[in-house]
Amino acid sequence: MRVLLIEDDPHTAAFIGKGLREDGHTVEHAGDGKQGLFLATTESFDAIVLDRMLPALDGLVLLQTLRGAGNRTPLLLLTALGEVDHRVEGLRAGADDYLVKPFAYSELSARLDSIVRREREQAQREPTRLSVGDLELDLLGRDARRAGKRIELQPREFRLLEYLMRQAGRVVTRTMLLEAVWDYHFDPQTNVIDVHISRLRQKIDHGFERPLLHTVRGAGYRLGE
Amino acid sequence: MTGPLRSTSTRLALAVMGAFLLAFVLLGAGVYVAVSTLLLQDARELVRTDSAGLMQLQRDGGRAALVQELRDRLDAPDDPDAVYALIGADGRVEVGDIPALHAGRGVRWTTFELAGDAMPGDGTQSPRVLAQLQPLPNGGTLLTGLRLQSQDRFLALMLRTALVALAVAATLGALAGWLTSRWVSHRLGHLDRTAARVGGGELGLRVPLDGSGDAFDRLGRRFNAMLDRIEELLGGVRHATDHIAHDLRTPLTRLRNRLEDLRHRSGATPAERAALDGAVQETDHLLTTFGALLRLARIEAQPPAGEGPELDLSALAADAAELYTPIGAERSVRLAPSLEPALVRGDRDQLFQMLVNLLDNALKYAPEGSEVGLSLHAGEAAVLRVDDGGPGIPEADRERVFDRFQRLESHRGTPGSGLGLSLVRAIVHRHGGRIELIDRAPGLRVQVTLPLAGAPGRIAPAEPLE
Repeated sequence: MRVLLIEDDPHTAAFIGKGLREDGHTVEHAGDGKQGLFLATTESFDAIVLDRMLPALDGLVLLQTLRGAGNRTPLLLLTALGEVDHRVEGLRAGADDYLVKPFAYSELSARLDSIVRREREQAQREPTRLSVGDLELDLLGRDARRAGKRIELQPREFRLLEYLMRQAGRVVTRTMLLEAVWDYHFDPQTNVIDVHISRLRQKIDHGFERPLLHTVRGAGYRLGE
Repeated sequence: MTGPLRSTSTRLALAVMGAFLLAFVLLGAGVYVAVSTLLLQDARELVRTDSAGLMQLQRDGGRAALVQELRDRLDAPDDPDAVYALIGADGRVEVGDIPALHAGRGVRWTTFELAGDAMPGDGTQSPRVLAQLQPLPNGGTLLTGLRLQSQDRFLALMLRTALVALAVAATLGALAGWLTSRWVSHRLGHLDRTAARVGGGELGLRVPLDGSGDAFDRLGRRFNAMLDRIEELLGGVRHATDHIAHDLRTPLTRLRNRLEDLRHRSGATPAERAALDGAVQETDHLLTTFGALLRLARIEAQPPAGEGPELDLSALAADAAELYTPIGAERSVRLAPSLEPALVRGDRDQLFQMLVNLLDNALKYAPEGSEVGLSLHAGEAAVLRVDDGGPGIPEADRERVFDRFQRLESHRGTPGSGLGLSLVRAIVHRHGGRIELIDRAPGLRVQVTLPLAGAPGRIAPAEPLE
């Protein structure tokens, strides 16, 4: 995957660049807004990681210019300001997701994968069935089965499983789950998500030889074989 | 707030009016006394002259001439107010039409009322007569008098005029006082309302100035300068927290990433990995605490949430209950929600955070196998109650638990940052509500009261907070 990284802070840029390369991506780095806009409009990328605060050209202005020109490249906005209005502002300007600095690399990696995948899925038809291994989810009939055996799920568990299956094979962080499945931006006091995941795991993995729902240490969860 | 304010200026206006009226009454009384004394002196002078004339006649022409003169004067009076009489030595009235009088010895003055001699104009009052009694050398007494009716009429007119003037002055005074007090409270009202709203968090607000440069205008300008300074200082605090966020959270995250890097390196023994896992967890905990502290500072600096969108608190509460039911189930604590719809205005994420923190606390301290109640009622206001059967909070500590990093001694061992309830209180205050801790014996009830969307305004704190 070819990723454009627009970030002025050399330390952060080096840290993100190193992680992305280790994950097997090609990284182009732009140190300011002007250079970033030039690269983004003249070359083709699979994803852009954009810092909000940039010298020469503000990140938000860059984003609006890019979207105004019809460029739909999946874009992850990095911001040092963690307030709701900044998030809304960024998303409204056309960012696909946002990430508050400072962050763990695993969070950035998971979110980047998620927006690229979403972009690809949107290009195709909206699926009505999802499947991972022998686990199947019928989105229209709200029905979950593993190896043909029906699994009883609460509505929230269904949404949780649906989200995990849409992101199958990729790491999903706890914050991503809270935002996507519960639709609230808040700071969970204890690891509430872990409890919900372990209940879901009971339902889909209990009694099967190969577990599908994995815990990724220090990062989050991954659904896959 | 306008009650005592208005009454202060009203009291002032009343005091000024009272002093003014008192001065008016004193002055009026003085003038009245002086004028009536003067009039009486004039009358005496007239009577004395008249009497002296008659005595001269008596000395020149004898008693018969005097009697003749008196009869003439009574039949065809020159002065209609003059009164004459001749009283015999036995006290009988020989000439004239007056009631019997006891004539003593020597010259003396007397006043009496002449009955039946109605005053023209208003006939009810019999006019007073001022008379001089002059003993005659051969017995008997000459009475020379003057009806005081014109003097009395003058004084009565003066009194009536003074009373009318007093009434007019009182009315005008009351009107002027009322207008003054209205004007003062109107001018002070701007200050008062602005102060109240700024106190509520609308720090950008300023007192409107009229540029007249009067005392109120100057006060308003001072007030605005003070608010500018407060805003500047608050901005400084916000800046400082932002800097802390940037300057400390970033190196902490780097530290965390390096630790994780180390853990992923091949060659680490399982024991080393476990140690590194612990270190990563510690860093995560620090970062979380830091995030909570920053969030708290930001919420406290935000303006009131009364203008926010309308939302159903019961839907949020139901979501929070659903999120926490499995957590309770792990320790066999049952969560029992009983929710009525209640529309409030505000920030959805913050209100959810409030609910989550309250439930988290309740579930943390509830004993195994007990029940945690979550109820929401909508009456005058939205009342949210979270009840647990835990150890409760000693009375002395109830206010303290809301302070940053304040954790009760008995809870030191349990996980938590000590910011959960501070955050809850900041959110409740920002939404114009109040929070109370109530003893359930055993257990604790946390009661949050928020204004309903239809009824704007703040819920006054049950007890002074800070």
